[in-house]
Amino acid sequence: MNKLLLKLAIAAATGSLLSSNPTVAQLSPTTPKAARVRITQGPELELAKEYLTIIRWTTNNPGGSPEHFGVVHYGTDPKNLSQTAKSPIRLNPSHSSTIFRVRLQALKPATTYYYTVDSMESNGKSDGVISPVKKFTTP
Amino acid sequence: MRERRLTALVILCAVVAATLLISTEFLSAQNGQGKEGKGGDRDTPPPFYNPYPPGILPADLLQEIERVRGEVRFIENEALAEWQALTPPTLTGQPPTLEGTGYQAVQTLGKLMNFDEHMSPFENRACGFCHMPYTGFSGPIPSVNLTMIAYPGSFQFRAGKRTAQRYTYSPRYPVLQLYPDQALLFGGNFWDGRSTGYLLQSADAEQAQHPPVDTQEHALPDTACIAFRLQTAAYRPLFETVWGVGSLDIKFPHNTEEICETPGGAAVFGTNTMPIQLKPEDRAKANSVYDHWGQSISFFEDGPQVSPFTSKVDANINGLYTYTPDELAGAILFAGKGNCNSCHIDGQRTLLTPGQTDTGTYAVNARPLFTCFGYSNLGLPLNPRDAFFYQTTPDFFGFTANPLGFGYRDLGLGTFLRSGFGSAPNPNSAWIPLAPRMDGRQQVSTVRNVAMTPPQCPTTEAPGPYFQKEFFHNGYIKSLKQLVHFYNTRDKFPFPVTSGHCPAGTTEKVDCWPMPEVPDNIDMTVGNLGLTDQEENQLVIIMQGLNDGFDPANPSVSTYPDINTFTGKCMTGGTAATQGNEVLIPTPTPLPACASAVCGVPPLPAPKPIP
Repeated sequence: MNKLLLKLAIAAATGSLLSSNPTVAQLSPTTPKAARVRITQGPELELAKEYLTIIRWTTNNPGGSPEHFGVVHYGTDPKNLSQTAKSPIRLNPSHSSTIFRVRLQALKPATTYYYTVDSMESNGKSDGVISPVKKFTTP
Repeated sequence: MRERRLTALVILCAVVAATLLISTEFLSAQNGQGKEGKGGDRDTPPPFYNPYPPGILPADLLQEIERVRGEVRFIENEALAEWQALTPPTLTGQPPTLEGTGYQAVQTLGKLMNFDEHMSPFENRACGFCHMPYTGFSGPIPSVNLTMIAYPGSFQFRAGKRTAQRYTYSPRYPVLQLYPDQALLFGGNFWDGRSTGYLLQSADAEQAQHPPVDTQEHALPDTACIAFRLQTAAYRPLFETVWGVGSLDIKFPHNTEEICETPGGAAVFGTNTMPIQLKPEDRAKANSVYDHWGQSISFFEDGPQVSPFTSKVDANINGLYTYTPDELAGAILFAGKGNCNSCHIDGQRTLLTPGQTDTGTYAVNARPLFTCFGYSNLGLPLNPRDAFFYQTTPDFFGFTANPLGFGYRDLGLGTFLRSGFGSAPNPNSAWIPLAPRMDGRQQVSTVRNVAMTPPQCPTTEAPGPYFQKEFFHNGYIKSLKQLVHFYNTRDKFPFPVTSGHCPAGTTEKVDCWPMPEVPDNIDMTVGNLGLTDQEENQLVIIMQGLNDGFDPANPSVSTYPDINTFTGKCMTGGTAATQGNEVLIPTPTPLPACASAVCGVPPLPAPKPIP
């Protein structure tokens, strides 16, 4: 996927050199990339239903691409968080903090899951968040 | 003997006259898809296409179709008068330019085309039929907005699959393009972005080229039919003034009318999308005319009659109007707790530093468009009222719009990138691998004019008097209150059910949100905003402040052009929170799995298959 994104980036960068568009100023502004992205609240369970679980946490506004992904690494063994769930969000350019929320679906009932969180720019580059290992139990 | 002959002749005349009257009545009143006053080879009108179960088509549909057609013809006549009053521009200079009134000439031409009913096989559908000024150029029939979602096309009652998007500010969307640092697509027109603008360098101009040949809209079978019909248009001289004398001099074969009065998709055409046999030079001319069709309409949409930047918010930006307390609260919520401007960019906010407070004010003379031109999957449920799901059998012409029935899923931009079923060919194969990340994403509309209604029905919100609109791509949401409540509580009241099956003790759209139609790529910026009921209402109020036509000197009268053309009736009663819930119908159970023609096209949806 990263190779694909690199190819797309080169193709688009070439295109952008050949043309300009007066409306680009309207696009989601790319806010300055934060020197360090830190969790200020959570991660925690926002919702735990039979078919849907939502994990939520807050960081300082990471900046960079306006679309980010919240990432949850999870599993039933705290030493093997082999599964990953990602959900997109859009940064609000006027907010100093950002709430990430990630959907986890099709989890086993009455099961304890362990997880850590991270976030990344829409091109896949990690924000480098350091997260504790947390857990929750499905209904 | 002579007397008997005379009696027989009188009877014969009476029978003929009665037959003519009855057939005319059938054509114009009952069927509505005859070609009144025009020849053609069709002796009898084709029967209605009605594969719908009871209740999908609104009871007043034929009456409302005729009502809107009358309004369309009124505006067309108004445009003809505007053309007659226009001082002709002077073609001069190098490169030659229409000096003086060139702008007005192109925009008037676009308006004339936009409201011209002749641009359809049965000469009963103009672009404006689905896009009238009093709704911000979106769907003008309240009962259609409430029931069948998609609008009936020239061959009644074929219908599309999505709501009619507003024209306002659509020309401001750039050509669909990839932003490499974001690995995201921005721009384009249509909910699924299929009008890229790659050829004309205008997504909006290319957008205007789709409906005339969309099988469920105007349904012309060949793009050259537009040039053919323009040859006999009353405003042909204006077209030639703008685009050149001789630009419509195309030699069409004798059977062209027969072809153009047969709706696209008809079995007789097979897979031929250019059934009119033209010499290469004439085909090139017809293609050029079709480009000018799109460009002229786009310039009309970009002009002051459609996109004038005259809302209350604009007046506030320019220092001509002070918000009420509720409007100010709404403006602050829009960028703050509501998080609306994450996607609906107001263009002027900056990152607040600790201790700073948002005052809700903007930089003077800004013209924010309240969109990021992006695409998002908001997680809307499948709407079983969408007429598209029921068009599973062939119509009179042998065309079947949706052989997949309820196996269809609207993957939006993802399907377009795959050149998939119900979309259009993707002209950039380098983007195909992005499809799984784009599944379910639909275009982020501008908020401008989302609340526009005719003056006699001054709101979209029950109890009114209100004008029933429909929101988002599938019309599931019926009021702005519901729209904000959806953003606010989608993840607070989620249920693993489809629409029409919320558990007893809950109310759909109030404290029960059925599961998303497309579970991948759901935007989590919204869904649990923690807004109070009052804050939801304040957001509705500031959205209403984005209606064009606000005059600070006379705030009770809209200045928006042609907003007074609505001749229908308002609705009253009920509450905005449950508006339209009386027409909810159960989604079929079990819901058929997503058809392989949609979800089985590589690259496959990921990380999980779409059910």
